[in-house]
Amino acid sequence: MSDPRSLWHPVATSIDLPQHHIFHGQLLGREVAVWRADDDFVNVWENRCLHRGVRLSIGTNDGNELTCRYHGWRYANRSAGCTYIPAHPADAPARTICNRTFPAVERYGLVWSGEDPVGEPPLVPMLDDGTPFTLRSLPVNASAEIVLAQLRDHRFQPVGALDGDHAAMAVTELGDFALALTATGANYHSTAVFFVQPVDSDRSVIRAVLTDTPADSEQIAVLRHHATRLGQLVALAETAATDQPAPEPMVATIDQVSLALSVMPERETNRSAPLRVQVARKWETAHDIMAFELVSTGNPLPTFQPGAHIDVHLPNGLVRQYSITNGPGDTACYRIGVKLEAESTGGSQALHDTVNEGDVLAISEPRNNFPLRRDALRTVFIAGGIGVTPMLAMTQALQPMGLAFELHYFAQAEEHLAFDEIRSTLGDYVTVHLGLSPGETSAELTRVLQGYDHANQAYICGPGPMLEAARTIAAEAGWPDQAVHFEYFKNTTEIDDSSSFEIALARSAVTLQVPSGTTILEVLRDHGVAMPSSCEQGACGTCVVPVIEGDIDHQDVHLKQTERDAGDQIMTCVSRATSDRLVLDI
Amino acid sequence: MIKLYDYELSANCYKQRLILSLLDVPYESVPVDFFPGLEHKSDEFKKINPLGHIPVIDDDGYVLWDAHAILVYLAAKYDPSGQWYPTGDPQLLGEAASWLLFAEGTTNTASAARLYVNLGYDFDIDVCRAGAHRLFRVLDEHLWFREREGLDWVCSGSHPTIADIAIFPDVVLSEEGGVSRLDYPALRRWTDRVKALPGFTIMPGVFPVGTS
Repeated sequence: MSDPRSLWHPVATSIDLPQHHIFHGQLLGREVAVWRADDDFVNVWENRCLHRGVRLSIGTNDGNELTCRYHGWRYANRSAGCTYIPAHPADAPARTICNRTFPAVERYGLVWSGEDPVGEPPLVPMLDDGTPFTLRSLPVNASAEIVLAQLRDHRFQPVGALDGDHAAMAVTELGDFALALTATGANYHSTAVFFVQPVDSDRSVIRAVLTDTPADSEQIAVLRHHATRLGQLVALAETAATDQPAPEPMVATIDQVSLALSVMPERETNRSAPLRVQVARKWETAHDIMAFELVSTGNPLPTFQPGAHIDVHLPNGLVRQYSITNGPGDTACYRIGVKLEAESTGGSQALHDTVNEGDVLAISEPRNNFPLRRDALRTVFIAGGIGVTPMLAMTQALQPMGLAFELHYFAQAEEHLAFDEIRSTLGDYVTVHLGLSPGETSAELTRVLQGYDHANQAYICGPGPMLEAARTIAAEAGWPDQAVHFEYFKNTTEIDDSSSFEIALARSAVTLQVPSGTTILEVLRDHGVAMPSSCEQGACGTCVVPVIEGDIDHQDVHLKQTERDAGDQIMTCVSRATSDRLVLDI
Repeated sequence: MIKLYDYELSANCYKQRLILSLLDVPYESVPVDFFPGLEHKSDEFKKINPLGHIPVIDDDGYVLWDAHAILVYLAAKYDPSGQWYPTGDPQLLGEAASWLLFAEGTTNTASAARLYVNLGYDFDIDVCRAGAHRLFRVLDEHLWFREREGLDWVCSGSHPTIADIAIFPDVVLSEEGGVSRLDYPALRRWTDRVKALPGFTIMPGVFPVGTS
């Protein structure tokens, strides 16, 4: 007999998974939470939130994410990665926080899964050749072995001759946990395939499928006939089970929290691109804007959160950042939008002209330096041009939660509006502002940003001048610095790298010199300090380092004014020191 | 206003709060120190209900006890549509009466197991749990076939009845008494449907179905 953990078993029927329900199941002693997302993907997850171990089956399925009942941690469809922790609303959860998933396949009206199943779920020719009709599953307080023994003597009547008890029965063995029974009467015959799901050492579920779907008018009678007959079998099996000593319960191994999760995560070590993705689709979503749908060439793509971006490493050696536009739970691909810049230095040009469907690109893991709070009473999104891309992901996260938001989309003209297919789902939440002059844009921003109130948040992404205007207008309208979040395309500040100074790495007990013309980031890397980075121009915030002592010459556009004033962090790719010495907490 | 002699953790009192909320009828909750004070067994309370149990309602001087009897009265009086207690349809009314009696069974098994675990009542816990599973198995099959017929509720009408409300708390709180609903997927789906009713209200241990 094969190790049951290497086999596929049914864990639910397809009709057990209506919209937004979470099915509570068990297989081989392990509880699972089974839920169908709005994209029809069926998730089979360990039934415990990795945070505090509470059953996920008492949580909420909104069609995109599963939310734990206890502390509201949200997990994405497919990947089971954590997308939001309500206790840390302003932070992006670590990408490594991920619930345990099991494979799932729907076949013959059943959901198949397993501990570590080999190959594909079983193909049953007699079901493939017919029109399978799923019967009601029955739980049994008896081992699979006892149930299978009882099934070999099971009797039912063929469709068309449900009355009586004279059908001749024939058994076909179908492996360790399944068999087929054919009932043959004078003029009729029916075949049912019985799969026995080993729930625990002393419990099972009988999942049965008829090879042929009866006529509509007969279906209820057929279902009742089988429910009655199987009910009798259940009684026999449970009697047989009570005559035997109770077997030891199966103990599912609960994976320990991985080392990576139980210690402070490693810092990313460089501008790395560990993922390989293929361009599955490339299309012109607006004038001069190409959209790319990127699918994994290997393992499933890592979880992302609204606001996250990826670094795309281009064939010409350039590295560019693009926001992921996908809504929550839409985790099978990443979709990005690329605006062809008139002054392209080769990045957008390369993506537009030389990268085509089928090409493979190297990308970084998603990184979120623009995290979205999901607890605001009102959220205002302001997008300028291609700056709409992170907003699309964000609005799709808030909409199913019923949180109030408005998206103001500024663009030159109708043909510049990208991602119609997403915007159309947002309906009246989107206001489009077309062809405004800088003065008119400021007037519109003033109108949009009036009336700041408690627990309002604003997210703004667009060209630099628009962001600067919005920053001033928001401050004048009474928005606190912490409630207004910016994402810059690039840092247009003229970087002054003429200063020279000393940096002391407090944790490493190393002191280094930063000469003029060289960045802190470069000096650190030259001396073997592993440093993450992304845009390397002071826009994205990836290369941030905590500062303990010294005066900072901020030249980035990532930090808010209050963060600059606090003087306790620095963007090492562009910012420098005005004092002779900076003490860094690394 | 209706006075409900009430205990927050009581499944039977929750049945009344639930129907009153579903019918949007205002009421005043009069807390009874059921545990540990045993106020319902006091001489004072026995003047209200000589049987010494809750819930009891006092509707402008009309006093009624017994959870399922109160459901009958409240629905008959305060549901002008006549759907929650379908007096206009003899067959549905019969079904509702039958399932109300079934709810006596779930109260005496599933909810009794909960009293044993939570409040230390002296019941035979194995008998309670086995009885609850026996009833849940019947109800799960019943509701599974209802779904196949395109129906959502324990009675055969298209609208829920007080039978759903009488059974729901005993079912939805069963895990507190150590009665798992793992084996009853149709029962779990039905609890989702009850929770989605307009006017649904929760109690400790009963979670809403979220829209978020």
